[in-house]
Amino acid sequence: MNAPDTSTRELPMIECVGLTRRFGKFTAVDDVTFSVARGSIFGFLGPNGSGKSTVIRVLCALLEPSAGTARVGGFDVVRETEHMKPLIGYMSQKFSLYDELTVRENLSFYGRLYGFHGARLRKRFDELVAMTHLEPYLDRRAALLSGGWRQRLAMSCALVHEPLVLFLDEPTAGIDPVARRELWDLLFDFASRGMTLFVTTHYMDEAERCSKVGYIHLSRLIACGLPADLKRLPEVNPPGMRRIEVACDDATSGLRVLRGVPWVRSATAFGQSMHLLVDAAATDDALRSLLEENGIGAVDVRPTGPTLEDVFVSLTDRANGGAR
Amino acid sequence: MSVFRGFRAILYKEFLVVLRDPFTLFLMLFPPLIEMVAFGYALETDVRRMRTALLDEDHTVESRQIVERFVNTDTFRIVERVGSSEELAAAVRKGRVYVGIDIPPGFSRDLAAGRTARIQVLVDGSNSSVAGSALNTAVAVALKESMARLALAAGTRELPFEVRPQMLFNPAMRSPNFFVPGVIGVVLQIATTFATAMSLVRERERGTLEQLFVSPLRRWGLLFGKLVPYLFISGLMAFALFAVMSGLFKVPIAGSAWVLAFATLLYLFALLALGLLLSTRAQNQMQALQFSMVFVMPSVFFSGFIFPRDTMPWIFRSIGSCLPTTYFIETARGVVLRGATLADVAPHLVVLAGMGAGLFALCALRFRWKLG
Ligand SMILES: Nc1ncnc2c1ncn2[C@@H]1O[C@H](COP(=O)(O)OP(=O)(O)O)[C@@H](O)[C@H]1O
Ligand SMILES: [Mg+2]
Repeated sequence: MNAPDTSTRELPMIECVGLTRRFGKFTAVDDVTFSVARGSIFGFLGPNGSGKSTVIRVLCALLEPSAGTARVGGFDVVRETEHMKPLIGYMSQKFSLYDELTVRENLSFYGRLYGFHGARLRKRFDELVAMTHLEPYLDRRAALLSGGWRQRLAMSCALVHEPLVLFLDEPTAGIDPVARRELWDLLFDFASRGMTLFVTTHYMDEAERCSKVGYIHLSRLIACGLPADLKRLPEVNPPGMRRIEVACDDATSGLRVLRGVPWVRSATAFGQSMHLLVDAAATDDALRSLLEENGIGAVDVRPTGPTLEDVFVSLTDRANGGAR
Repeated sequence: MSVFRGFRAILYKEFLVVLRDPFTLFLMLFPPLIEMVAFGYALETDVRRMRTALLDEDHTVESRQIVERFVNTDTFRIVERVGSSEELAAAVRKGRVYVGIDIPPGFSRDLAAGRTARIQVLVDGSNSSVAGSALNTAVAVALKESMARLALAAGTRELPFEVRPQMLFNPAMRSPNFFVPGVIGVVLQIATTFATAMSLVRERERGTLEQLFVSPLRRWGLLFGKLVPYLFISGLMAFALFAVMSGLFKVPIAGSAWVLAFATLLYLFALLALGLLLSTRAQNQMQALQFSMVFVMPSVFFSGFIFPRDTMPWIFRSIGSCLPTTYFIETARGVVLRGATLADVAPHLVVLAGMGAGLFALCALRFRWKLG
């Protein structure tokens, strides 16, 4: 990426070079290289089973890399694990908690685990509770919490020792939109105070909020960079093509019609409208009349840029060996 | 203290988890007591008052006298009188009685004529220890009667030989005294090994182990933190079992209760360490259960719990020598039945301590601070 990356002068907080992890013959993570600057939010996307959790586990020293190196906070995850550990917080995919313990007990257990006790433990405890609004649930067993509250508790536990780097594995999977938004508000707040965040997700809107994103597909990192840079990639903006957003009164039929047309490279539904990648030679009028011939009216065409989803779709297509 | 880092946190959490869930605690403590009572009664091999059927075809004073001799041994109890040898055989076959006594016609005539008077005794051999006991008693009755008559005929009243046995230990020859210490050993083995194996595997299954791995916790801290609460609980359990032993089975502790308590702690430590070791291999609770069962079976058969180790083929004896249960049972029997002192049982205690330390060290070495 040739964008002005101000962080490169500073040591990156997370850095992988040629990271590879095999399970037997199967390669779950294949030659992955990227870096994350201090205070940024790195969004890590990819379909299920593409290797996201495996990368996190290697970075947290839970798995050893089969090849390549990884450094977190400047420490090698294999050789300097003990130095690295105090710097990191990790919230696993399942929000692992002790179900038979209450919220209070879970939190104080993790506090003790990180060496807090007495007044320091109480102070830290109060800070975390205030931050995550867990107050009303303190005496409830973790087993009885809903997804959103489990996630908050799990995150508080991961934050007990004020880590410099926080790894969150699908923190918003299965929680309600309000909790999701509140989580992101918190993450931005952490980042503004210098914490580095590594977040895996399936949600494109979450990816758009990240300072940097990586997309992993079939164990390989096929895109990595600032969202704006990725949207400018030539693969995403093929020469002789343009992206338009088309609003009409029947997007469903519209898609069906347009998908059979040779000069429409791709067509996706986007709410009540469609996102199209069409030959630059095809005019808006040609499109409008085609739709009207098929009984679709109220057509409104405007130029648009690619979304991150468009980026990932284009790159996935290319990685799969060409267009559909 | 740094190799034990996190020990106190784990200890705190583990006690909470155990106490929080009274049902699990109950499941851990209650079955051993039931098992103990069940085992204890089931293993009662003292054969007394066996159900017996009688076929008296002689109907004389002599035949009634000999039947009385049988009954007086307290081994036989006449519950049925039958009219034919077919009926007698049927009573045994159908399981109504263990023993059938058949006094044929002409019994007293033979006796009077100085011929051998025969008594037929049918014994249900399906339970060999019961059958053996019935047989021995029957033969003894016949021998004793014969001797008495021979002595009378020879004109002497004194028999040439007599053995006066004196039981030094367990004078009443009660089998609970012999079996119950063994039952305690086996019951403790079943409950504890499984409990620790489960507790670590559960953390693996629900993903909390991952969270522990990223924390500054050290392996010794984790393993000791897991072991100590269970040592405490199983110690209580052992106390309850010994209380049942002396209260319900009326087996007094001849030696020092402190020696017994010390031996029990060493034994429990070894069992719990074994449980932890199994959990380093088991990937899920099912496997943990299977692995711990693998150790229960040999402990039942090769530890000397039921079968004396001296008469075992060497292969089984050597298996037994590798099991902590073997040494615990030896020690417990020694202290409970023979009043053995600390010095007497020291060799067993040394082996138990060595096994515990060895298993625990192995576990700490084997325990991979990684996933996958
Ligand atoms: N411990 C393991 N042993 C064997 N295969 C594994 C292990 N962990 C993950 N995998 C495999 O590696 C692939 C990537 O898994 P994961 O990193 O969890 O994907 P994601 O988090 O992107 O859904 C999957 O196919 C998974 O089955
Ligand atoms: Mg995952």
